[in-house]
Amino acid sequence: MSNDLKDHTPAPSGSPGSGPALPVWVFSLTLVLLFLGGVYFDESSGWFNAQVYKPYTDANQLEAYQPVSGAAAIRAQGKLRYDMICAACHGPNGEGKPGQAPPLAGSEWVNDSAHTRLIEIPQLGLNGQVTVEGQSWSLSMAPMGAGLSDSDLAAVLTYVRSSWGNKGDDVSSDDVKTVRGGIAGHPAIPGETGLKAIKE
Amino acid sequence: MSPGIERGEIVNTGCRIFLVSFVALGLSWGAFVIAPAIQLGTQKQTSVLNSSEIYPEQRPGDATMGLQVYRRAGCAACHTMQLQQDGVQCDVVITGMGKTPGAVSNLLSSLSLKSLDKDDAQSASDQITAAGGKTEIHIVPTGGDVARGWGSRHSVSEDFLWDYPVQLGSVRMGPDLADVGSRLGSFSWQLEHLYAPQAVTKNSTMPPFRYLFVVQKPVNGVPSPDALQLPAQFAPPAGYEVVPTMAAKKLAAYLLSLHANVPLHDAPFTMASAAPAKSQAKKQ
Repeated sequence: MSNDLKDHTPAPSGSPGSGPALPVWVFSLTLVLLFLGGVYFDESSGWFNAQVYKPYTDANQLEAYQPVSGAAAIRAQGKLRYDMICAACHGPNGEGKPGQAPPLAGSEWVNDSAHTRLIEIPQLGLNGQVTVEGQSWSLSMAPMGAGLSDSDLAAVLTYVRSSWGNKGDDVSSDDVKTVRGGIAGHPAIPGETGLKAIKE
Repeated sequence: MSPGIERGEIVNTGCRIFLVSFVALGLSWGAFVIAPAIQLGTQKQTSVLNSSEIYPEQRPGDATMGLQVYRRAGCAACHTMQLQQDGVQCDVVITGMGKTPGAVSNLLSSLSLKSLDKDDAQSASDQITAAGGKTEIHIVPTGGDVARGWGSRHSVSEDFLWDYPVQLGSVRMGPDLADVGSRLGSFSWQLEHLYAPQAVTKNSTMPPFRYLFVVQKPVNGVPSPDALQLPAQFAPPAGYEVVPTMAAKKLAAYLLSLHANVPLHDAPFTMASAAPAKSQAKKQ
């Protein structure tokens, strides 16, 4: 018993390589199980993406179901920009800040039926005296919205005009584009007199 | 040494058993411990869809400690904290008839707008837009838990970012609590419910957690501002009041901090209204 390896090798039956044949049903069952496993994997794995949960099957489908269309999305886009840029002075709820910026909530300039003036203010800035809700403000606003794209500025203005009790209609990016084309190179608006001079 | 087996043979077998079990355990350790840790171990706060808000907000200190009370009281034995969502559907909502309302309403009579999949919803929306109307596509999660009003979407890993240890639970003797702070957002309601569940929820099978409260005579004759307002059936004897302990307040604060009600990238849906949490709270 010095070389016991021999005991473990299966007894050769016939020629080498023609060992006991695998039954056909085992082979077929393995294939069926592999197929079912593949189907289950495809439906339930989410391709191991941590973002994908039931009922979504993969990242592309999840992407397709992101709510992005319609007025809600525009308001959301506007709120995002407003919170980043405008809210520091005008307040997160458009309430304004004494000595810094007049309120936007309920302001007659915001709720104006035409919106040319409102589109010009963030692009040109506003210097000097202006009356908002019966209160006189004499401040200077930089052209904070000059760097925003047409659609972003339109979204911000739409958001402002439809929030905190304001009842203005929507501002489209085409409106912004038209106004923007007409005021290139203009100086800041000189207060209320300047605002009133803007043709609606 | 039994006859017929040599010393070297045993070593060979043992080595093989060791190697095979090492590989098997190593693979499952990698797949079930390491891989999830790589994916979610560095989980951070995420932003709410279409918003600059961050989710989830860090809990206040008492709510953080309330998790340990939740754990100690064994709430997870009867309550889960994981919402399921079976499906998702799209509803096309008309937001404006445009300049040709006749054409749009003609179209509407032949289109179905509810319970569509994404492609059908998009095509219906495109047709209405082409006719001059304005539409929105609302993403609506469906499934038993949503229908029961337990939450608006399925639970995701972000929901548990501040929970340690996570109290998922597996038995639903009571309702799911993943979004309970939005559904039952009143501090006094939560305390009364802990002291006497049947006082606020008729036919509740929840046991009362009276040890979280003290029944006492008003200290120096001055009633505590925290004392519970209970219906006569559950009220303490005359001259006594029920005052929550710190543990009860922490637990209630923790329950109120459970909000799984905002849309996230991995759980998208269209918010029904601007502030569902607040409108729910007023109902209590």
